Amino acid sequence: MDLRFTAEELAFRDEVRDFFRTALPVSIHAKCILGQRLTREELKLWQRILYEKGWATPAWAPEWGGTGWSAVKQYIFKEELHLAPAPEPLSFNVNMIGPTLIAFGTQEQKQHFLPRIASLDYWFCQGFSEPGAGSDLAALRTQAHREGDHYVIDGQKLWTSTAHHADWCFLLVRTDSQAKKQQGITYLLMDMKTPGITVRPIITLDGHHETNEVFLENVRVPVVNRLGEENKGWDYAKYLLGHERSGIARVGVSKMRVRRARELATRVMSEGKPLAEDPRFRERVAALEVELKALEITQMRVISETLRARSDKPDPKTSILKMKGSELQQAATQLLLEVAGYDALEYDGGFVRGLAAAQRDEADWALTAAPNHYWIRHVSIVGGSNEIQRNILAKQVLGL
Amino acid sequence: MSHAAYSLTEEQLSIRDLVRRVAREKVAPRADEIDRTAEYPHDMFALLKEIGLFALPFSAEYGGTGSLLSACIAVEELGRVCYNTGYLLVVQWVAFGALYAAGNEEQKARFLPGLASGELRGAFSTTEAQSGSDVSGISTRAQRVDGGYRLSGAKIWCTNSDIADFVLVAAKCAGADGRDSINLFIVEKGTPGFSIGRKEDKMGARGVPSCPLFFDEAFIPEANRMGPEGGAGFKLVMEAFNTSRPIVAARAVGLAQGAIDHATAFVQGRKAFGRAISDFQGLRWMLADMTMQTEAARQLTYRAASLVDAGVTGQELAAAAAMAKCFASDAAMKVATDAVQLFGAAGISNEYPINRYFRDAKVVQIIEGTNQIQRNIIANVLLGRESKR
Repeated sequence: MDLRFTAEELAFRDEVRDFFRTALPVSIHAKCILGQRLTREELKLWQRILYEKGWATPAWAPEWGGTGWSAVKQYIFKEELHLAPAPEPLSFNVNMIGPTLIAFGTQEQKQHFLPRIASLDYWFCQGFSEPGAGSDLAALRTQAHREGDHYVIDGQKLWTSTAHHADWCFLLVRTDSQAKKQQGITYLLMDMKTPGITVRPIITLDGHHETNEVFLENVRVPVVNRLGEENKGWDYAKYLLGHERSGIARVGVSKMRVRRARELATRVMSEGKPLAEDPRFRERVAALEVELKALEITQMRVISETLRARSDKPDPKTSILKMKGSELQQAATQLLLEVAGYDALEYDGGFVRGLAAAQRDEADWALTAAPNHYWIRHVSIVGGSNEIQRNILAKQVLGL
Repeated sequence: MSHAAYSLTEEQLSIRDLVRRVAREKVAPRADEIDRTAEYPHDMFALLKEIGLFALPFSAEYGGTGSLLSACIAVEELGRVCYNTGYLLVVQWVAFGALYAAGNEEQKARFLPGLASGELRGAFSTTEAQSGSDVSGISTRAQRVDGGYRLSGAKIWCTNSDIADFVLVAAKCAGADGRDSINLFIVEKGTPGFSIGRKEDKMGARGVPSCPLFFDEAFIPEANRMGPEGGAGFKLVMEAFNTSRPIVAARAVGLAQGAIDHATAFVQGRKAFGRAISDFQGLRWMLADMTMQTEAARQLTYRAASLVDAGVTGQELAAAAAMAKCFASDAAMKVATDAVQLFGAAGISNEYPINRYFRDAKVVQIIEGTNQIQRNIIANVLLGRESKR
């Protein structure tokens, strides 16, 4: 296995790097560096820029807007995006509903939805989790029954991130309560403007509004907005969860945070010297970088094995990437928090959200360290908690 | 190392039971609200006043037990349900401890009975924008004038200052030999030239406000200087604070235990895959580890406090107290992090209590001498000081 890039790949990397440097609006770039949260409009603007360049959805099938890049080039693209740093395209759209529609949607659905998903004209959220159905997703209880050309939905969804921004929701509902729990589930696309939908904010531990409860009362969804067949929704959702997991190591994001911590540590003083000169700090950075390198190589191995296997099925070894990737994301934000030290104690919600009035100067970087450290706990919980990933590893990789 | 054994006395057991009961019945129902609103909990202060804990670590003369271990037990039980209410107690003890260590008889008579009863509240201030851990870098100055001093400068992060009746302020005085010394001054509320800034919005410890202080030629009478000019008072206070360090460890132990309490109740009530998630061995082991670390932290903390009560000082106490503070707060961070994980998505929602513990745990690792500093103390006892290159 040769892990070095070819000359062509290196040229591609330079092209991508150059594009991010010139195309990314300065104000958005500044927020990414400071670790501030982006607004709906900023994300839409950036997605539109990528869309016009033809780079909004590299991994999609080329006939539906993919770039046809090799896995290595896709990897380079994602890495450069994270290192720029530039905003990540909305995962619900690009990594989840897009690929699922390509695999299971009708021709009409694909033609209508895919371009709008790629350009973020339609912002999708994910209506999966419920109060009694998180890791045990198949326990979901939101009901839907047919009335003519419509499904009528009653129930409640929980942890519906960005529902307050969303135009559409991809939704799992129970259409057969007699069947085995995985077999009575149907997959629907729901317009968020439909009467009967109530979105209630859940404020998270960083003081931010990212996620929601969604109450569904007599919500009528046309049958044409069903994905695939009735009662087969679980199979489509499983396909999608596999896609979600493969992109989740986010090595580039962690690399960028460690790089940022190193840079800031040259300015932060500790016992009369820059923190960057403290041997204990250097040792910690080195240990983290070694782990990131190991994860990066593991990720490339999984990519090349998947390519060789030519299989559509997600490799259960991606559980390693999810688990280790989330641990390292958390270690990197913790490192940034510790570099900030006491300065991270102040809470300024306006600054975290990047409101113009709240911005002061670049030295205020420490204000995002704690909220981001708190928020990053979610990565070991969402997308199949790390405990679930260990079960997958034990069963499917180790055969226990 | 001293090998004296300790066990909790009848009195300490009854303090534990009393505080535990009050904490559960009266404090726990308010804990989330205090954190969310970040408003000073006057009702909790009144409650602590009513049960008479403000002189607990100090001598019987002021109504105390003379035992740091008793103080640790009380802080642990309060911190288990509400970090902020435990903090109210500690903040009161800081002012009391400083005056107790370095105040003259007149000052003690003037302030200690009021602090012990809760009629008076105090605050303590050294930190400035450019000097946190490095106290010698402060630039607030006290200029000698007729009958006292003129104080000029600014402080940040002064906990409890907008509630306090007086603030103990560290300032530099120029000595006759041209060398500066750091002295403590009692600055009473309402002193002309002394003002308190807007309270900071904080990540953790949100119920007890921290504010910047400003001194513009504020006149401080000589009677409000602690100890003789030349820094002896300040040194005495710093030594007293070092001795009371196990209290910081006890805050961490309480926090860890509280996180375990919440997580245990949650996993027993949460069902997935047809059974309570407390039936999954992976999660059971997480909780076993959390309990193990917390109990080890508790034993280190109680032992360090018992050494103080037995009159042990010097390097032996320094190492024991540093180990307790460092281990207990590292354990609390790990335990609170795992507790968030056990709550699943509910762990990152503000509507559940567990994220308070997670936010507050990080604070304990950093305050009162970072855990890196504590490791230096332990290593210095073991290896001697580092030689300078």
